[in-house]
Amino acid sequence: MHLPEIDKFAHLKSPLHSWDPRVKIISISVLILSVVLLKDLRVTFLGLGLAITLVFLSKIPFSFVFVHLRWVLFFIVALFVILSLTVPGSTLVGLSFLGVSREGFELSLLISLRAISAVLLIFPMLGTTRFDLSLKALQKIKVPDKLIQLLMFTYRYIFLFLDEQKRIFTAATSRGWVRKTNLSTLKTMGNLVGMLLVRSFDRTERIRDAMLSRGYSGRLKTLDDLTLCWKDFLKGALVVTGALMPHLLGWMG
Amino acid sequence: MSRIIKIRNLEYVYPDGTKALKGIDLDVFKEESVGLIGPNGAGKSTLLLHLNGILKAGRGLVEVLGMKVKERNIIKVRQRVAIVFQEPDDQLFMPTVFDDVAFGPINLGYPEEKVRVSVKEALKGVRMESYEKRCSHHLSFGEKKRISLATVLSMQPEILILDEPTSNLDPRARRHLIELLRSFTLTKIVAGHDLELILGICQRVVLLDEGRIVANGDARNVLSNKSLMESHGLELPLSLGA
Repeated sequence: MHLPEIDKFAHLKSPLHSWDPRVKIISISVLILSVVLLKDLRVTFLGLGLAITLVFLSKIPFSFVFVHLRWVLFFIVALFVILSLTVPGSTLVGLSFLGVSREGFELSLLISLRAISAVLLIFPMLGTTRFDLSLKALQKIKVPDKLIQLLMFTYRYIFLFLDEQKRIFTAATSRGWVRKTNLSTLKTMGNLVGMLLVRSFDRTERIRDAMLSRGYSGRLKTLDDLTLCWKDFLKGALVVTGALMPHLLGWMG
Repeated sequence: MSRIIKIRNLEYVYPDGTKALKGIDLDVFKEESVGLIGPNGAGKSTLLLHLNGILKAGRGLVEVLGMKVKERNIIKVRQRVAIVFQEPDDQLFMPTVFDDVAFGPINLGYPEEKVRVSVKEALKGVRMESYEKRCSHHLSFGEKKRISLATVLSMQPEILILDEPTSNLDPRARRHLIELLRSFTLTKIVAGHDLELILGICQRVVLLDEGRIVANGDARNVLSNKSLMESHGLELPLSLGA
């Protein structure tokens, strides 16, 4: 089955793959923050350009990126429709009683560009390092332990959860259940999802036992092989400069 | 042989009122292999969970290597008594094999170098040396079972407890696991329904039913006692003429 692995291409070789994950996460987070704070539409295109450049440099196939970007695009389409028709301003296009406002269109374009750029930047940030190393990097940069454990267990058990879900739905289908748009389907779906949650809860108890039996006391402790060199800082400086540049250009008009 | 586990009048009641263990008395000796058999719900897993303090005795005494299993010495107990759970996906909860095998030694406070050596030796012990960087969810079931063993061997325990070690394994993986278990000289307690496995690696068998020990003796004698086995919902192993 298809597994939602963000680190599917972590084995490739690129300047982003060889970059220390700690510096990479911090630098690209600064870039993401910078992009989402942009207010000038023209400069936002520059932010998008930077994001596309980093995806290109990461060698992650664009087909893989687009597959994961489709959910963002789905929300963006809804945003375009709602904002273009509801934000007051000069009419860009008029269709009988409907009017698409220029301000609404520009606002939705601005938000869309920011969102797409931010999501695109996730790929060079997390897709170029094995997920376990990204977690260790987050641990090193003092992200709260609880959050890291949450991410780690989600990543480890999402695959099992999906397998379990598939098994439950296959079992239902094998006994003649057909998904329809009616109340009975909703009821069955509710039962199946409920069963999935009960099983997941049982599993969490067993995992907790296994952790306790190996000395777990609430804190996650791991070893890592992360090493820093001047190249990591140079790449970091370049990306942070890239993050500041659109703002400087914006101020200069 | 010196006594390594001493259990006296152990009782345990689950929060829902189910009496899982009723007056268990058991001794296990150093380097002995003991099989724990019984029908489903007999209390096998509950008994095993008492041996490294995951469940606290409701009444009675559990002593491991001369230490009473109490909160204050729980880390020492857990280092010496290792449990491999039935389902490997419950045992392998870290993103990579290395992290999983290193989890116990790190929690025990081993220095970094010792952790790395322990991981290497444990993986070598289960013949999976090249798997350090692999993700647990990409392993086959048999590989997961072996790595599960490594996760506790890295803690260098003195007592190894295995809950249904061969369940869901294909014949080849089962055979490999049995060979592996035979090669370990440490004290073993094996719980399960795979009576051939128990006959193959255990000198002594303890039969548990409804929370009580109903038989405790030489593996071949207990497992070949047809009336005893059948009266407790079990069958003779095929090799003993079932």
